[in-house]
Amino acid sequence: MPSDAPAIAAAPPRRLGGFAAFLGRRETLPLLLLTPVLLFFIVWNVIPTLWLLGLGFYRFSLTSGRPPIFSGLYNYVSILNDAGVWFDLSRTFVFVFLVVGIETGLGLLLGLLFWNSYDLPGRRIALTMLFSPMVVTPVASGTFWRLIYDPTFGVLNSAIRAFGFQPVSFLQEASTAFGAVLAVDVWMWTPFMVLMTLAALGSVPKAELEAAEVDRLPWHQRLRLVVLHHGKFILMLGVLLRTIDAFKTMDLIYDMTYGGPGSATELVAMTLYRRAFEAFNMGWSSALAVILLLISIAFTATFIFVLHSRERREAAA
Amino acid sequence: MRRHLYHLVLWLVALVFFAPILWIVLSSFKTADQILAVPPIFFFRPTLANYANLFARADFLHAFLNSLILSVAAVVIAVAVSFLAAFAFSRFRPAGTNFLMFLLLSIRMLPGSAAVLPVYLMYVAFGWKDAFGGMILFYAMFSIPFSVWILKGFIDGVSQRFDETGLVNGASWLGIIARLIFPQVFPGVVAALIFNFIFVWNEFLFDYIIGGIRTSNIPVLLASGLYSNGGVDWTFISALTSIYIVPPILVVYVFQRYLLVGMTFGTVRGEV
Amino acid sequence: MSENGSDIGAAPESAAPQAPRLTRRSLVRGTAALGAASLACPRYVFSQAERNHPLAGKSIHMSILGVAGWLPSSLSVDMSPEFARYAKDKHGYDVSFSFAGAPFGALFQKGATSFATRSQEYNIMISDSQWLGALATPHWIVKLNDIIAKNPELNVQWFAPVTRAAYQVYPDGTDNLWGFPQVGDTIGIFVRKDMLEAPGEAEAFQKRYNQKLPMSWEDWEALDFEHWRNVIEFFNRPDKGYHGIAMQYSREYDACSCPVMSFMRSKGGDIWNPKTGQVQGIYDTPVNAQALEQYKSMLKYNPPGALNYFIAEVVDAFTQGKVFAAWQWVATGATMIPKDLAGKVMVVPPPGFRDQSGKLNRNYIIGGQPWVINAFNDREHMQVAIDFMKWWYLPETSHEYLKRGGMPCDKATLTAAGFDDLYPWNRTYKYMLQRSSDFWHDPRYSEMLSVQQEAFTGYMSGQVKDPMHALQYIACKQQGILYDEGVAEKAASGSCAGIVL
Repeated sequence: MPSDAPAIAAAPPRRLGGFAAFLGRRETLPLLLLTPVLLFFIVWNVIPTLWLLGLGFYRFSLTSGRPPIFSGLYNYVSILNDAGVWFDLSRTFVFVFLVVGIETGLGLLLGLLFWNSYDLPGRRIALTMLFSPMVVTPVASGTFWRLIYDPTFGVLNSAIRAFGFQPVSFLQEASTAFGAVLAVDVWMWTPFMVLMTLAALGSVPKAELEAAEVDRLPWHQRLRLVVLHHGKFILMLGVLLRTIDAFKTMDLIYDMTYGGPGSATELVAMTLYRRAFEAFNMGWSSALAVILLLISIAFTATFIFVLHSRERREAAA
Repeated sequence: MRRHLYHLVLWLVALVFFAPILWIVLSSFKTADQILAVPPIFFFRPTLANYANLFARADFLHAFLNSLILSVAAVVIAVAVSFLAAFAFSRFRPAGTNFLMFLLLSIRMLPGSAAVLPVYLMYVAFGWKDAFGGMILFYAMFSIPFSVWILKGFIDGVSQRFDETGLVNGASWLGIIARLIFPQVFPGVVAALIFNFIFVWNEFLFDYIIGGIRTSNIPVLLASGLYSNGGVDWTFISALTSIYIVPPILVVYVFQRYLLVGMTFGTVRGEV
Repeated sequence: MSENGSDIGAAPESAAPQAPRLTRRSLVRGTAALGAASLACPRYVFSQAERNHPLAGKSIHMSILGVAGWLPSSLSVDMSPEFARYAKDKHGYDVSFSFAGAPFGALFQKGATSFATRSQEYNIMISDSQWLGALATPHWIVKLNDIIAKNPELNVQWFAPVTRAAYQVYPDGTDNLWGFPQVGDTIGIFVRKDMLEAPGEAEAFQKRYNQKLPMSWEDWEALDFEHWRNVIEFFNRPDKGYHGIAMQYSREYDACSCPVMSFMRSKGGDIWNPKTGQVQGIYDTPVNAQALEQYKSMLKYNPPGALNYFIAEVVDAFTQGKVFAAWQWVATGATMIPKDLAGKVMVVPPPGFRDQSGKLNRNYIIGGQPWVINAFNDREHMQVAIDFMKWWYLPETSHEYLKRGGMPCDKATLTAAGFDDLYPWNRTYKYMLQRSSDFWHDPRYSEMLSVQQEAFTGYMSGQVKDPMHALQYIACKQQGILYDEGVAEKAASGSCAGIVL
């Protein structure tokens, strides 16, 4: 460990020389520090991803007992021609759009409601209760929502019957299953948007709020000019994180409907799961996974872009 | 008076969100017939039989221990190596920092079934399936992006003057990391630890695919124990769930100030 | 064999008079007293000569993968200490067991993800019959022909030929054996006799439909679908808190597929040509579409939520008194008839379908599971697995299994005196074994099934309106899967391009 390293830490990276020289120089330190993570990264990401990319060009089923057969773009062409996959993908995007929309709207509303709650008795407990849905094991909540929704034994249908209506098989009817799954996701993740809204509100300078008070700005202008102006970055991040997470939704579906009835709740993560670990059609699944990887990278790039746009703005300021 | 009404509304909102969880916990103190009773029963004489049955099951203790071992080991490893990497990223900004940070994050953004597929194929080839080492390291890998992001943000926030002072006073870099930086970013370490812990604790799919008899955790036990010989095993599910959700909910209560940092990969700081 | 065969008959004969009212527990208690010899004292007394076993003195751990929450699987779990005793007494080695389970829909996946790593994680697996192809093709499980040739006691004589075809052979029609029957299973209709025999019902039914209300097992056996549906409709009384029947419509695993395919085949339809791999033109026929419609027509006599019913949900609905009848695998009998329903339930064959000549046909899908043995087992575990199978087919083991509510397949047990009356479902089981057959054993089974489940439940839930379209979708997809695999001679036709549900 070079204790005589130069005092200025954030020097620009330099081209490295021979190995021996390299070990003795101050560039060694960052590399040493990064080595474990890079090792993890190479073994658990680079290698598997290469594997995935390669296998996408092969026809390979684990249960066929045959070695992979090179087939060029066969898997990709077959995915492109598979209208079912496109329906699953578009259903997934509809799902993402709806849950993120509803959760953001509801989250904003509740966040504003909780804004001024510092003197709420038992605030910490109340907030814990509010935030709990997002940390409960999804497999567990999925299972239990099945019971809550159950048309014969479920508590929800008991209420519906008590009001004199016919019980509804929420998760089993093609017309209601999608909405029912969506509602559980909203239950799970609206608290997240509440959290983000509270953070966004917290970032608004008190002085400006007081100034708005003095100027007697109407509430919608106050919201737009003061609150959104300062909070929009955090809200934006919240929306993006939720979008990415909603795109991944799987545990919940797995437990509540398994994609059914028909394909009413089949999201693309479930499609991939089914083809990979039910049918063991590994070549085809690898190709689909590559496509999903590209979509995820696009999402992440957007996220980073937004994140950096703030840094640039702050740097400019 | 208006203030009271306002507080009442807030509490009602919190209760509405908590109600399904409360229903699970209530159910765990009911008999099987009471759980399925129509109309639902709200007041009843609670029974501890479900919990007694649960603790009598060998597979429960086994899976619970696995859950604990996997999440603690993976998270500690992940946060340790991430801390070093985050320090390097923050202080030395080696070439490709942004790109690497970006790649790390996009892995975390991948749907679980797509993420586990290539790892499964690799484990098939290397024979690493159902091994604690393989499981822990994979979970650690999955916790790294998150930890690096959080910790880099925190270390960025520590002034470089600390490093310089340390260096001038003859401290080694390791000494600086351990004695000067670490105490200052401790809240970030806590946030990284608890949020990765919740993630691994709740994780189902990876354990299900690349785990096995030896390494199966509670979510896997829950999914495979749905049915008893007589139908859906609601008493088992409700008791197991009620126990299992205690740690995450406690985390939310105890570490409420870290909630925001944790939930946003450290990209948003602050308290609620 | 025959000597022990009569032994099996002994306990049931004594139990026979009270049989209809027997629950599993009371029966075990009763026979324990009667056949004390078989339970209390070890029956495996052998000479020293037999102790020259290669594993003598060793201690081995065996791991079994079975169906979670499935009585026949858990019975084997319960009985495994008996094998440990047997192995100790006869061969002089110690054996311990551990069990892993997954629900039907996830079991193959759990086994396959493990076998693919050439792992010994599970030494023995209880597999569903249709997976034989997928397990045998990559040689994950042991081919049994040589083992059976060396161990003639494993060459068991089965009661019905379907046993061998469904649980042992792959590919169909060959002599390659891969599995040992663990449990035989068929569909039966569980009927609430107390409701059926309530005063006035027979007359009211006669008046309403101008048909006879079936009372005896023979009456039910003679029912065609239309008559049978009338009975269910008659007992569908939501205003009184119960419905006509609980059937399986779930998307999970093969829930909706087994009954629909049973309807199809009983009506003279078929699902494919196993020789040419042809699906299109055989599957998407009017008769199959009618079968699909008929199955959906029963939905209105089911409790709300039946679209989610698989085996466990049907058990819940029936035992909670929500239905008059249940469409159920007979192997669940012991859980379908708990103590408070004892004596109130009869189990009868499912309906037949009349062909043009008026003959009543039943060609139902068979249930049940075989044992299969991990091909990656080392020598010691392989030896224990074979010993375990030998023990499993010992007459006294079959006897014990039967007593606990399991369903053996061997001729000696099924033809023993008193078998029919031992449990309410036994007679129907035997009857339906001769009228059931299996469907695809193809390695791509799970893909074929998944497509079919998607389309069937899509139709049942109203997502798809036209049954013919659902069938065409399935036929296109399955044809494509089989062609892709090299089994089908023809590719999916041009009309399949871009077909969606």
